[in-house]
Amino acid sequence: MKRNETLMGALAAGLITIGFPGHVVKAQGAPRQVEVTAKRFAYAPGEITLKKGQPVVLIIKSEDVAHGLRFRELNLNAKVDKGGSAQLSFIPDKTGDFVGHCSVFCGSGHGAMSLTLHVVE
Amino acid sequence: MRLPAGVILAAFAAALTGCKVSPPGKIERATVTFVKHHIFIGNKSQKNPLEPNAATWADGKEAFSHYCVACHGMDGQNTGVPFADHISPPIPSLTSDEVQRYSDGQLKEILDNGIWPSGMPGSKGTLSDDELWAIVVFIRHLPPAGSQGIPEMYNH
Ligand SMILES: [Cu+2]
Repeated sequence: MKRNETLMGALAAGLITIGFPGHVVKAQGAPRQVEVTAKRFAYAPGEITLKKGQPVVLIIKSEDVAHGLRFRELNLNAKVDKGGSAQLSFIPDKTGDFVGHCSVFCGSGHGAMSLTLHVVE
Repeated sequence: MRLPAGVILAAFAAALTGCKVSPPGKIERATVTFVKHHIFIGNKSQKNPLEPNAATWADGKEAFSHYCVACHGMDGQNTGVPFADHISPPIPSLTSDEVQRYSDGQLKEILDNGIWPSGMPGSKGTLSDDELWAIVVFIRHLPPAGSQGIPEMYNH
């Protein structure tokens, strides 16, 4: 899995550099960091607005038990240890609303734990 | 398909009354199954938004293991569940016709809201939509009976 991601990353970076000079400008600069806390049974904030093409790092911190955050459509998944933190780094490449769910079973309200990303132009 | 609801409900009521004096016979059972399939369990036409592939199957198996295994076993066929045959109605094997004849949408409806008058509880809120649809994929392709061992909680 790890190796695959690295490979894909390298491939994507290569493509961007060679093929799409316009995107290089858009994708450069420090990624925007957004802190998200996870606590039974909600994320705070529960909604985040992102710009298409702008790199972002979601820093997810658990304030209680182990949680996760998964966006199936975006192929992103992070697992956070009890009281720990994890990161999701990505560049949103399509606009729209994407709903992520907790991906580590955390109890009776687990299924209702969601975070919505609004990706805009 | 469209029988008047009154007729069916009357038949169902008769079937239920029958249950009180003796175990459900063939006709009663068939009636109850018919009523469940055609009247009480809606959401027949909703399609599963997930592809039935190895990844969603694995997601479904994982989600199933948190909650459903206590009554249905790791294999969905009651393996290792001590009370499966001792409650009324008994817990059906999820590979049975009775269960498999539900559409994906109906299975999702049952997972969301449970099913009356059995003890099956709803999982809406406990598991996400995504996980519940993955469980539908898992239910459609259950592993061989007994192949998954018995649930942790009965392992002592
Ligand atoms: Cu959680």
